[in-house]
Amino acid sequence: MIIEAPLPAFADWWAGAATWWLIVVGLLGAAVLVLGLIGAIVRQGPVAGPRSFVRFVGSALGDLVRMSPRRVGAIMRLAVLESVRRMVLAVFVVFIVILLFAGWYLDPGTNEPAKLYLSFLLSTTSYLVLLLALLLSVFSLPNDIRNRTIYTVVTKPVRPSELVLGRILGFSLIGTAMLAATGIASYVFVVRGLDHTHEVVVDSLVAGDSGNLTGRTSLDNGHRHEVRIGADGNGRADVAQDHWHSITAQQRGTETIYEVGPPQGMLEARVPIVGTLLFTDRQGRVGETAQDVGKESKYRSWIEGGTQGSAMYTFAGVTPEQFPDGLPVELNLGVFRTHKGDVSKGILGSIILRNPDNPEIAAAPLNFVAEEYRSDLKRFARELTTSDGDKLDLFADLAPDGRIEVKIVCLEPGQYYGMAPTDVYLRARDASFAGNMFKAYVGIWLQMVVITAIGVTLSTFLNAAVAMLGTFALILAGFARGFIDDVANNQVLGGGPLESLIRLVTQANVSTPLEPGLSTTIAQTFDDLYQGLLRAVVELIPDLGVLSQVGRLANGFNIPADGVAVHMVMTLGYVAPIFVAGYVLLKMREVAG
Amino acid sequence: MDNGVVIRTRNLSKVYRDFWGRQKVRALKALDLEIRCGEVFGLLGPNGSGKTTTIKLLLGLIFPTSGDAEVLGKQASDVTKNERIGYLPEESYLYRFLNAEETLDFYGRLFNMSSAERRQRAKELIELVGLQVARRRQLREYSKGMTRRIGLAQALINDPELILLDEPTSGLDPIGTREMKDLILDLKSKGKTIVMSSHLLADVQDVCDRIAILHQGELKELGRVDDLLKLEDVMELRVAGLSEAAREELVATIERNGAELVSIDHPTTTLEDLFLQIVRDSEARPGRRVTAATTDASATADGTPAE
Repeated sequence: MIIEAPLPAFADWWAGAATWWLIVVGLLGAAVLVLGLIGAIVRQGPVAGPRSFVRFVGSALGDLVRMSPRRVGAIMRLAVLESVRRMVLAVFVVFIVILLFAGWYLDPGTNEPAKLYLSFLLSTTSYLVLLLALLLSVFSLPNDIRNRTIYTVVTKPVRPSELVLGRILGFSLIGTAMLAATGIASYVFVVRGLDHTHEVVVDSLVAGDSGNLTGRTSLDNGHRHEVRIGADGNGRADVAQDHWHSITAQQRGTETIYEVGPPQGMLEARVPIVGTLLFTDRQGRVGETAQDVGKESKYRSWIEGGTQGSAMYTFAGVTPEQFPDGLPVELNLGVFRTHKGDVSKGILGSIILRNPDNPEIAAAPLNFVAEEYRSDLKRFARELTTSDGDKLDLFADLAPDGRIEVKIVCLEPGQYYGMAPTDVYLRARDASFAGNMFKAYVGIWLQMVVITAIGVTLSTFLNAAVAMLGTFALILAGFARGFIDDVANNQVLGGGPLESLIRLVTQANVSTPLEPGLSTTIAQTFDDLYQGLLRAVVELIPDLGVLSQVGRLANGFNIPADGVAVHMVMTLGYVAPIFVAGYVLLKMREVAG
Repeated sequence: MDNGVVIRTRNLSKVYRDFWGRQKVRALKALDLEIRCGEVFGLLGPNGSGKTTTIKLLLGLIFPTSGDAEVLGKQASDVTKNERIGYLPEESYLYRFLNAEETLDFYGRLFNMSSAERRQRAKELIELVGLQVARRRQLREYSKGMTRRIGLAQALINDPELILLDEPTSGLDPIGTREMKDLILDLKSKGKTIVMSSHLLADVQDVCDRIAILHQGELKELGRVDDLLKLEDVMELRVAGLSEAAREELVATIERNGAELVSIDHPTTTLEDLFLQIVRDSEARPGRRVTAATTDASATADGTPAE
């Protein structure tokens, strides 16, 4: 359970993003204007061409600023009516049918049932709604042109900008309704589908020394829990399948009835406070990265057990007001074994809380066993002791200015812990799960709006089939934007396309440089040119993948409202130029053949 | 609009090209035309003569290859001119999933009309075109004639000054055709300018003040209908109650003056008039049928032997 890339804070993000947006859109706009002027001169000559071009640009600007809300509303309403009367809402019925069948094959007995349910439902919703957006947006305008219904519209005082914007808004509204309906259905399905309880198997209860009882629960939803019940009769069913239950005892006559509560910790929205990370290597030298164990992913650095290697997280904002119940530190460590050891056991490590300005002031190490693929929450009380047994105050001694250092070491020689900045965090609080689900749906909604805008824009100058293919290609590119970025910036092993082709043919290793020679020079020169072009083009591809926060929801992390705001502005940044492009293309087009 | 000119084209030409920019068809060649306020103007010509291309150019649906067109004092590509224009296309290209009220409401919104105004105007126009009974039915259920009627209603939603009608009587039955022609004359009487294209010459002759005849994209004739149709060297007298003797004397007089008698006969009514008279009679006296006996009787009464 990791979040590789924290969402940027809006305040830190907007200035740089706005500048970059202005550069890209400005350059693109300038290129279009120059090409348009050249085209006009070629078609109409050196005198009439520029005059007609200036008239066109003036008229285009006028169309953009003089749009009528009522006309845009009329086109939007028409798009909605068209969709409704063409039974588009049947997609919702398809979704409900999928939900009905999902109950058969979604196994609540898996290790992370909430993740399974949420991933499945939100992926299904995404596919359906994005497909719907694609089909609605690309067919409408070409159908109007083919059926000539557009004749009776464009002969009214309707500006092409209103036609494009009205359609984008109308189809977005349909998608919004669809998302709202599927979202509510999904929420009910998840909450009801994962809700369960158990019975304490009384025969399994064994009394301990202090009067505590241990035992197990009944097998329900494909799992059972270990049970610990205190002397007062209350206790809890330990974590299994990513959740736990509280247990309360009720006396009925001479009989004690144990009631197991609903699952807890399953549908959650953790709010992490992420710190900064530094490592020490095996000799104790401080650096920003530690060892590389040869894994392809460079996300984590690795510290070697039984050496001076350590990871040091520094967190800010650690105050008694923020953490009145002590310091909750959650770990999501990677483990790399160089020898098998006891595979049934995790790797031993320890956590030390220290004063970042005076590392000599440190709490006694807390030993723990790291397990992969599980979050492990450690709570540190306010009152701590040093290794010598002296008392320490968490806030006054270790975080006098609100900063605290959490040092993690691996204790087993020959084994490694892998860590990244977001793997260890302070779990500040839990946000509302329903609210988090809503924010995840906002992410899908933003994707849907971008796809609708692309579809409508391509359909202004392409026929429906070609516009659909073009939109689909842009969707694929949008979801693979990260990879395309890596290819453009030569971050992919094996080089560019021509170099990769040579490696494929010659079966050369991707990490070994090619033999110097003419063919290598030609291939790498071509790849350099290609990657330069790709770097320019990639900025025009909307990054659809980044808008979705389904992974964050499914992994139980809160989606920060700040991040949602970033994505909304980002979407506006995509949709605005796409809309203008659609408008210009429609204005330039003869709608009658 | 200077000198009451509503439409002016100068050297207006249109060449349709294929994907590679090669010339496919030269649909309109250097059309110079002026249409004045308040007249009914007919564009005549066989299929492919450039009538519809002209209308599309005037509406800004297509762009001229050369030359320019002004409509109501504005460039044809200026959408603001459409505030004062109504257009009925060759076929009523309307959204078939809307009903009549929704259709007119939609087009009313495009003219930025208020809700009350749209409701009032839709009610008036639905009555005008006689679709009260079918106002809530989706257009997909309409007959061709009904679709033409609602198409006409949408063209008039903004009470336009200039109305362009492309083949307005196409698809209409004789009653619908007559009503359409009456409506055109009614609109003319209200000061509207009407431009219609048609290849139904009788319709054009009935309503148009001036016509332009196009052939292969070129303007071949332009002028007032009555002037163009007038045979200057032929005279027609229509006389009622003329006796046989008087008729012979008239013929003799004509011969004596050296003129050539082209024909002397009883005029016939038009089939359209006969049809309309029968339908109106049928509406006035429902249940009356034509039988063999009544047919024979009428034939005998007319002096024609019954077969």
